[in-house]
Amino acid sequence: MRGLVQFIADLRNARARELEEKRINKELANIRQKFKDGNLSGYHKKKYVCKLLYIYILGWNVDFGHLEAVNLISANKYSEKQIGYLAMTLFLHEQHELLHLVVNSIRKDLMDHNELFNCLALHAIANVGGREMGEALSGEVHRLLISPTSKAFVKKKAALTLLRLYRKHPDIVQPQWAERIISLMDDADMGVALSVTSLVMALAQDQPEQYKGSYVKAAARMKRILVDGEYAADYLYYKVPCPWIQVKLLRLLQYYPPSEDTHVRDLIRESLQKILNLALEMPKNVQQNNAQNAVLFEAINLIIHLDTEQALMKQISTRLGKFIQSRETNVRYLGLEAMTHLAARAETLDPIKQHQAIIIGSLKDRDISVRRKGLDLLYSMCDQTNAQPIVGELLQYLQNADFAIREEMVLKIAILTEKYATDIQWYVDISLRLIAMAGDHVSDEVWQRVIQIVTNNEELQVYAAQNILQYVKADHCHETLVKIGGYILGEFGHLIADDKGGSPIEQFLALYGKLQGCSSGTRAIILSCFIKFVNLFPEIKPRIMYVFETYSYTLDSELQQRACEYLALARLPTDDLLRTVCDEMPPFPERQSALLSRLHQKHANTSDKRTWVVGGKDANANERDFTLSKNPGLKRAFSSANGRMPQSNGAANGTNGMNGYSGVTNDLAGLNMNDAGPSEPKTLKVPNLASAAHLSPDWEIGYNKLLLKGEGVLYEDGQIQIGVRSEYRSQMACVILYFSNKAPTAVTSFTTTLDLEPAEKENLSWEVKGLPESTIHEGAQSQQMIMFEAKKVFDKSPTIRISYLAGALQALTLKLPVVIHKFMDPAELTADDFFKRWKQIGGAPREAQRIFGVKGGKDGGREFNDSFIRETVEGFRWGVLDGVDPNKKNFVGASVLHTGDGGKFGCLLRLEPNYGTQKVRLTIRATDESVSPILIKLMEERLAIGVSTAPETTEAPTFRDISDAFGNVLVP
Amino acid sequence: MPGSYLILLSRQGKVRLAKWFTTLSPKEKAKIIKDVSQLVLARRTRMCNFLEYKDSKIVYRRYASLFFIAGCASTDNELITLEIVHRYVEQMDKYYGNVCELDIIFNFQKAYFILDELLLAGEMQESSKKNVLRVISAQDSIEDTEVSGAWLFRFYGVELCCYTFTAPGRYPYPLIH
Repeated sequence: MRGLVQFIADLRNARARELEEKRINKELANIRQKFKDGNLSGYHKKKYVCKLLYIYILGWNVDFGHLEAVNLISANKYSEKQIGYLAMTLFLHEQHELLHLVVNSIRKDLMDHNELFNCLALHAIANVGGREMGEALSGEVHRLLISPTSKAFVKKKAALTLLRLYRKHPDIVQPQWAERIISLMDDADMGVALSVTSLVMALAQDQPEQYKGSYVKAAARMKRILVDGEYAADYLYYKVPCPWIQVKLLRLLQYYPPSEDTHVRDLIRESLQKILNLALEMPKNVQQNNAQNAVLFEAINLIIHLDTEQALMKQISTRLGKFIQSRETNVRYLGLEAMTHLAARAETLDPIKQHQAIIIGSLKDRDISVRRKGLDLLYSMCDQTNAQPIVGELLQYLQNADFAIREEMVLKIAILTEKYATDIQWYVDISLRLIAMAGDHVSDEVWQRVIQIVTNNEELQVYAAQNILQYVKADHCHETLVKIGGYILGEFGHLIADDKGGSPIEQFLALYGKLQGCSSGTRAIILSCFIKFVNLFPEIKPRIMYVFETYSYTLDSELQQRACEYLALARLPTDDLLRTVCDEMPPFPERQSALLSRLHQKHANTSDKRTWVVGGKDANANERDFTLSKNPGLKRAFSSANGRMPQSNGAANGTNGMNGYSGVTNDLAGLNMNDAGPSEPKTLKVPNLASAAHLSPDWEIGYNKLLLKGEGVLYEDGQIQIGVRSEYRSQMACVILYFSNKAPTAVTSFTTTLDLEPAEKENLSWEVKGLPESTIHEGAQSQQMIMFEAKKVFDKSPTIRISYLAGALQALTLKLPVVIHKFMDPAELTADDFFKRWKQIGGAPREAQRIFGVKGGKDGGREFNDSFIRETVEGFRWGVLDGVDPNKKNFVGASVLHTGDGGKFGCLLRLEPNYGTQKVRLTIRATDESVSPILIKLMEERLAIGVSTAPETTEAPTFRDISDAFGNVLVP
Repeated sequence: MPGSYLILLSRQGKVRLAKWFTTLSPKEKAKIIKDVSQLVLARRTRMCNFLEYKDSKIVYRRYASLFFIAGCASTDNELITLEIVHRYVEQMDKYYGNVCELDIIFNFQKAYFILDELLLAGEMQESSKKNVLRVISAQDSIEDTEVSGAWLFRFYGVELCCYTFTAPGRYPYPLIH
């Protein structure tokens, strides 16, 4: 496009802005004319749109040609389409009316066979997609994300496009997509994994429960990258393996509470240690250094978040100490930031306090970014012991601080002073000095808070009155101090009236001297103070009346009204009303400090969830939503605490100077900031696919077999075979699951999730000792070992969700044959012992009895027979006691059940079959009433299946069958 | 970790490229550009690459005559954002060969296309230089079949010479190397 190049060159040669404008106007006129004439070839349209784009980028307003630009999108030529899409993303925004016109063109490109066209369409949605586009196109975008035929470079764009749509309109991502999206985190292509991880991060923040599978995935991928070195060479960024995905994974792990699973914790610990080890080396190359540190600082954040890794924690506190002294400004900045995070979480501030001098020094750094971080850290690390020196330093620094951060500093100093004051004088001194020094940067909340504190704490009042009087007497006194003076002296001036230099007339003159130089609001406060003086100090009434009279002619209507009302009040024949009006102010109602809400307003509402906030441990106490900390109320425990303040009769009304104070709710309104934000967590109830409610068809075939056996095949279909081997020792069980891939290709993103009804979790606990490989190649096998412990008698068996990608997502939910009877050991008893114990246990409630037949009755083709019953009873781990029951057909058994917390239980069984009627009577007695009903239910269910009456048609399995079925299961 | 914008700003304060990842009105955009330019242009060398701006963070870095300025959330990882910027510069360098400000001026559309391959919705989508280059080359080859002689103009060649002659003393400096 020679014309475009020429045009750009012309503009660059235009030395003055007027010349540039002239050239642009000429060109705009030209283009307008060309568009009007119509009949342009695609090439020319493209050229003119490009010129418009260039003009737009330079910052000029381009108010035509949008339609022509958008029309290019439906061009057949890729190069024209591409410019059309670029123009659309630059000229239009998500609510632009022209977007309606392009939805169909975009859809067409999404469905095109050429992937480059798909990409253009995805870019468009990711740039300007809003609600409407999301509703119309999200299905297609999702299809491109999960389709097995999508190329990697389309998939990753689809993932991020979906992320954009989700941010705009969360409902677009449907709950049932979760499992499939999580599985893509295992994608072999690092670009896809990176993009999908970004998507999952956003989703997991809002719906942690639904996306909790991502936690293990993130931990495992982290380890595969760092420890196993599993990445393509192209993803090494200056010797650091894909730092972007590392940072994302480490961040994702911070969105969840630390895992309880030791195996997952080991994975994470191993990766973190590796990161710390790698970072010991200080590379010279800037990029390598940055990438390595990016990962390192994210790892530090995770370690602080986990809060359980003492060894790692120790390593990082020493390193942070070095970072904050680094010569590199970036590292100093990040070191201070990480330390602030540490202060927000750590049990003790001691490791940070060691560096107090350096941190204070950072307030003098030449870079304002570093100074700000230093301020944050000092604020966070402050406690009772170091408040006085830190506040002192902050005050000193305040004098030279940049204007940009003064207001924040004042707030922080005020908060710290209030929070950690143990000494009356200190609180009053610092507060007043703070206001004197930084008057212009003191927001209203600060001085009003001082008044609230003084009013509500009697022991402060005299000292505060004395001090403020000194300030007001001085020649130069900031107006904010005059406001405080007006209020404090009006309320508590009488307490110091007998002091030297504090006589009523001196108080009056001090305030009167400031009256002229003050703004209207302050004058109003002073006038209100004077009417209180009329009440308290009748001796100076004439002088005050003179002031009121003067002000009753002032032009300011608010002041004039006050003066007139006060004048009238003071002239009343009796002073009853005056006394009532000017009664002592009642204490302020307890409320959260407006200071904190003011400070936090500044930090509210970023699009990503904060996992912590600046401000030490108690600011982070409420982890759930990081609302403001439980702040001490207005009443503070000072060292010289006196008795409670007498409650006055509460006659205060609007005539005093504190008009703005009715708004407690207003003060608190700012606290609700955490509800703001683009995506609120959804309350939608999501099905737990791993639970027993979602068992896959045919789950029971293997399960029923394995009820009676320790090992065998749990499940098998065309793609996968799942074998189980288990060993039980008293209350402990070791279960190994073997997953064999029977499909002709590798399966990827192999994931297992164990689940158990929440109520049962305290009865049966488990620990995962290893996870299956994420990729299982054709014909290969992977295994998972789980240790179970029966703490008490449990009723429900755990379930396992197995999902993997073999083209599409395949998922199974199976019940594991971990059942209470597996924890029994057969016992041998003599007939005498048996009957003695049988009687000892006695009938209900420790006895359970059922009479039942085969499920489906006699015609179901199944029956009871002696060998079936014997097999089942033995399979249920009873010691069958032959010759104990006088009737030879009956079965009698005994066993001992082991549980961890519940101890051992003795169990006895008697089973009386009647083969004629095909019924059995089953009686179980156990030493605890909780055991027998559960055992009898299990046995009834299993026995009722019966055995097939048809003659054995299948031949005994050949050796080959056996080795096929069990070969790789039984020989690991 | 959504980035909210990426701005390429010349030392004279002219915008060379601006990409917005969140929806803003033209007025808000203009305000951000004005504020951010002021803040960044006032920074001295050897200061850190991060700045706080309202509730967000600015991560910036200067490459020869151009400032690359990324706006991100205050919770974002600063260094990794900085390296996104660097990867972008490298990617352009690989494509243009010794990329300088002029390349970005004369081929601004390409600079946008490359950016689209790196960042989408404000998130890094691909960090492999080879993969990005492969997609961009595929785009170019389609264009070549559609427009005869497009490759002649892809790199400004002749015009650059004419530029350097007409504006003596201001030579194109490579952004890196």
